[in-house]
Amino acid sequence: MAGKLRTVIVEDEELARNLLKSFLKSIDNIEIIGECENGFEGVKMINENQPDLVFLDIQMPKITGFEMLELLEHKPQIIFATAYDQYALKAFEYNAADYLLKPYSKDRLAEAVDKVVERIRKEGVTSDVADKISDFPKEEYLDRIVVKDRHKIHISPVDQVRYIESMDDYVMIYTTEGRYMKQKTMKYFESALNPRDFIRIHRSYIVKVNEISEIQQYEKESYIVILHDKTKLKVSKTGYKNLKEVLSF
Amino acid sequence: MDFRHPFITNPKIAIYYGLFWVMAAIANILVLTFGNNVDVVEAVVEVFAFLLSFAIVGSAVWYVIKFSTLEDNSFWRVIFAHAIAASVIIFIWMYFGVVAIKLFHPNPSNWFEENRIANGIFAGYGFYTIYVVFFYAINYYNGFKEKLRSEGKLKALVKEAELHALKSQINPHFLFNSLNSISSLTMTDPEKAQEMVINLSQLMRYSLKHHQNEKVTFKQELENNRLYLHIEKVRFGKKLNPSFEIDEKCMEAEIPNMILQPLYENAIKYGVYETTGQVDVKTIGKVTEKGLEVAISNTYDPDVMSKKGEGIGLVNIRERLQIIYGNPGLLKISDNKKEFKVTLTIPQK
Repeated sequence: MAGKLRTVIVEDEELARNLLKSFLKSIDNIEIIGECENGFEGVKMINENQPDLVFLDIQMPKITGFEMLELLEHKPQIIFATAYDQYALKAFEYNAADYLLKPYSKDRLAEAVDKVVERIRKEGVTSDVADKISDFPKEEYLDRIVVKDRHKIHISPVDQVRYIESMDDYVMIYTTEGRYMKQKTMKYFESALNPRDFIRIHRSYIVKVNEISEIQQYEKESYIVILHDKTKLKVSKTGYKNLKEVLSF
Repeated sequence: MDFRHPFITNPKIAIYYGLFWVMAAIANILVLTFGNNVDVVEAVVEVFAFLLSFAIVGSAVWYVIKFSTLEDNSFWRVIFAHAIAASVIIFIWMYFGVVAIKLFHPNPSNWFEENRIANGIFAGYGFYTIYVVFFYAINYYNGFKEKLRSEGKLKALVKEAELHALKSQINPHFLFNSLNSISSLTMTDPEKAQEMVINLSQLMRYSLKHHQNEKVTFKQELENNRLYLHIEKVRFGKKLNPSFEIDEKCMEAEIPNMILQPLYENAIKYGVYETTGQVDVKTIGKVTEKGLEVAISNTYDPDVMSKKGEGIGLVNIRERLQIIYGNPGLLKISDNKKEFKVTLTIPQK
């Protein structure tokens, strides 16, 4: 490999950053181009500077490491560094190169960097992190959705989400605060939102149960849902079955 | 207090009671017919009119017991209450008995000649006394069970608090991050690393040592939590800003052990973890006429929506205080969207 790995550290604790930096100093092929204290800074830094490698903490203020990944336009190699072992599986769903458990040794860190070098040799500089972000069912349901709205990052509590509409490769999320586009599949949201609160009523719609004001017969065998704000959404046959099941009518 | 009748709360007692009286009635009928040569119909009417009717009327004695317990009333008041209750119950019982005899007895005049009423009244007071003893016994048994139950519950809660305190010191948030900080400090500031190892050891020793004492002094509890905050402060630096305003008089007050740490944990979890700015964690301790008052507050970032399910630690503390002091209002929460505050009132003897 030609040059050094241009590396960004996203980690909220100063001591943890210091440790990582001092370990990395002894690894030749690393060049640290930036440090960030939280995910917001991370998104900006990574999209602007397009690093090869990012060291990422998971539990951080504002948005988590995972939520940050979803907002990246540039996809670098990722090494997670965290004290929580319960996110390992999820990290590999996000196609992470490695997962370091704090406290980790210098050797273990070097091993992780070797993995990244190996990967880049095989796959080219950028990885497909976040493209592979899965439709796997998560262990727990989402409680917020993070979206990038031009230059702002918007955090929507799931309570504020009214319904979700599919738009080709994207979904449009309608919340009480406005609507936001996100590159995700309907299938993802169907499994990531609590099925007691959200129902897939159609190929193109997932709607929050509390938003439904009426279910009307539209034609023979076909129905529409009318929301409290009078929005009308089509219901498919399967959707009608889902509604019947959740609302038990 | 639970005034519900034991026959309702525990139907088993009602069934045994019923069986007892049915057997007594059958035995009585058999003795009367075969032993005393009384006509079968007469025997049945008499047994129904007096024996089984008392089984029904007598169950009301429970309420007399409940409203005139020996703990809350003077001895003579209890005796007086029972005398009146006994007379009323016996009057009702005799009245229905006599009506039943008049209606169904084949030979009522015979029956009245034998001075049965006076004997009946006498027997009635006897029965009443047996009932009083019977229901007092049930009452004491219930009270005893209740006490065992609440003691057991308290023990379980204390265990849970201990476990929680231990777990929060051994969980990934705390222990591994602290060890990582130490790992970092060994290179940049070995002295501070050593200090942190010592603090961490002391903290863990406290939670291992104090598991059996139910109460400790506020001073001990406070020192332990200062250690905890000190360790977290090394990790979070200026983001965590603890401050204390403690009245000297508080120090010797008693407080259930390990009741404060979950509050500091919450302050860090919902305050420090979720914000990029500084979080003030303030502790105010004072003594009021109600006892020791400890208020722990933390500022937080109002833009960050709080996660659900933060209640468990607080519910546990509230429940523990209620069981120890029998007062559900000892934990108060206030939240002005900038600062979250929990106030504990710990009654002192």
